[in-house]
Amino acid sequence: MKKIGIIFQKELIDNLRDYRSWTIGLFWCLFGPLLIGGMIMLLGNTIRENLDQPLHLAVSGTENAPSLVSFLKQQDVIVEPAPANPRAAVIAGDLNVVLVIPKAYGDDFSAGKRATLQLIYDSTRQSASPDIQRIQNILDGYDKYMGLLRLSLRGISPQVTRVVLVETVDTATPQSQAMIFISMLPYFIIFAIFNGVALIATDSTAGERERGSLEPLLINPLSRGAVVIGKMLSAVPFGMINLLVTLVGFAAIFQVLPVEELIGVQIGLDAGALAAIFLICLPIVFLACAIQTLIASFTRTTKEAGTYLAFVGLIPALPGLMLAFLPVKPTLWTMLIPTFGQQILINQFLRSEPILASNLAISAVMTLAVSAIITFGAIKFYENERIIIG
Amino acid sequence: MIQVQGLSKSFGKVLAVQNVSFSALNGQITGLLGPNGAGKSTTLRMLYTLLRPDSGLAVIDGFDITRDPIQVQSRIGVLADARGLYGRLTTRENIRYYGRLHGLEGAPLESQIEKLLLLLDMQAIADRKTDGFSTGEKLKVAIARALVHNPPNVLLDEPTNGLDVMSTRAMRQFISRLRDEGKCVLFTSHIMQEVAALCDQIVIMAKGVVSATGSPNDLRRQTSHENLEDAFVAVIGSEEGLS
Repeated sequence: MKKIGIIFQKELIDNLRDYRSWTIGLFWCLFGPLLIGGMIMLLGNTIRENLDQPLHLAVSGTENAPSLVSFLKQQDVIVEPAPANPRAAVIAGDLNVVLVIPKAYGDDFSAGKRATLQLIYDSTRQSASPDIQRIQNILDGYDKYMGLLRLSLRGISPQVTRVVLVETVDTATPQSQAMIFISMLPYFIIFAIFNGVALIATDSTAGERERGSLEPLLINPLSRGAVVIGKMLSAVPFGMINLLVTLVGFAAIFQVLPVEELIGVQIGLDAGALAAIFLICLPIVFLACAIQTLIASFTRTTKEAGTYLAFVGLIPALPGLMLAFLPVKPTLWTMLIPTFGQQILINQFLRSEPILASNLAISAVMTLAVSAIITFGAIKFYENERIIIG
Repeated sequence: MIQVQGLSKSFGKVLAVQNVSFSALNGQITGLLGPNGAGKSTTLRMLYTLLRPDSGLAVIDGFDITRDPIQVQSRIGVLADARGLYGRLTTRENIRYYGRLHGLEGAPLESQIEKLLLLLDMQAIADRKTDGFSTGEKLKVAIARALVHNPPNVLLDEPTNGLDVMSTRAMRQFISRLRDEGKCVLFTSHIMQEVAALCDQIVIMAKGVVSATGSPNDLRRQTSHENLEDAFVAVIGSEEGLS
């Protein structure tokens, strides 16, 4: 027990002097907050731009349909002349959408036949879709309006063509839109923990082997368990700091950005929320340190250990990504999966849903138990003589 | 005191060490001489408890290396084949770490560190981080940390490897000094002159087996060669791998 303390203390000093490893770790912490902040700003700006600005529409053949053009103008559409080759302009991305009014339109329209209009756009271009939708709605409105006028002229009630009336009730609130962002928070928090401790944990284990200081260390009178546990625990404070920095980073981003103005809802993380999420995530710090220590115990160099980094950071975070799109209920089995349980708990917390104390306890105990098993596995690797000759 | 009886170790199909037996006494320097790949380091690694012998017995100060590794570890000071230091720690911190792992602390530990710094002429580099030290400086730190608990048995794996002439001389004097303190010193080398000049007893190894044991004079007599170098070559059967 005392030996664990000696190793812990030495590794902590050693790690603290390893500026490069922990500054890179800190960078990972800020990655999530900066990315989410950027996305909120981007999304907010697109929403605002599209709603505030009048629709510019390039129309070719305006002379063929004066009544349609004046209808467009009534709907606040700014009609502009279309280029000679509208299709090429859309493909090149110069225009989002072009309305072509063929020569035959006027004659067909006057004869009471179906008159054809052509709308040219690229449906795969996300940024064009608000424009496309708006012009389609307007044209649809014109079609219905003209149809009703013609029926009325023939003395038929417009109701005849309206068989079914569909009323839509959309339960999505601005809040639930913002929840997509909130659902992504757990992912970035766990991402930061895993990436933050990775370099520190592998440097003190695989790095020690690489630099040839492991063999002399193991000749000292101490159990391999003490070595592994001491080293594993020495990465824990760094994981905690990373977790804290990430959370404060998110709080700061939500504070600094005019989130409400941008996406219509307020997301706030006060001190109480930060403390609660910190406690929920604490067992994950141990899990991350244990996993990294295990990897470092069977890899020969820090470089080799680094090749596992991408997977390790990703796998525990996958359920979090899933959560962003699928609703998962906080049932018992989800609490039994380390990192998954915590992500659901963070989500519940951010949505101000009631959290069961039993769920909190089960997820914490389970994650710590898995961490202990993984650490035990690392000790087994250390007890094998391949750690010296491999 | 180190007693080795029929020690064997293989890695897969490679028989690294076969049926090796010898004794290293207190107050004597015992040299394990042999060409590269003779099994010297593997033998030493079994003695310092990091490798488990397949068969045979080794006892250090009465403690079995496989049954009481912790007891053995606290009675040996080892300069291993791998002698990496902690580059972000100073000389003093490197030595102190090992001292604490051996259960030393406080004033006794600090005075022991001070003694070693003086003995190995390291006061000038005592509080510098060891990153960027020369081979000789690194070796001194590695030796100091190995001896911080003042062990009765000292195991050195190729202690003069990579040293310049002056450092080699200093290292040899240091090894003699350990003997004069009554320690049991066991070291490996592939340099004949070094072994001849230092050792009270020589164990010659080749291809995993002991081919001859005895004092330099014994070896001259056994092989009826006046020149020790000729005696070694006669015992090993070839000059390959020696210098």
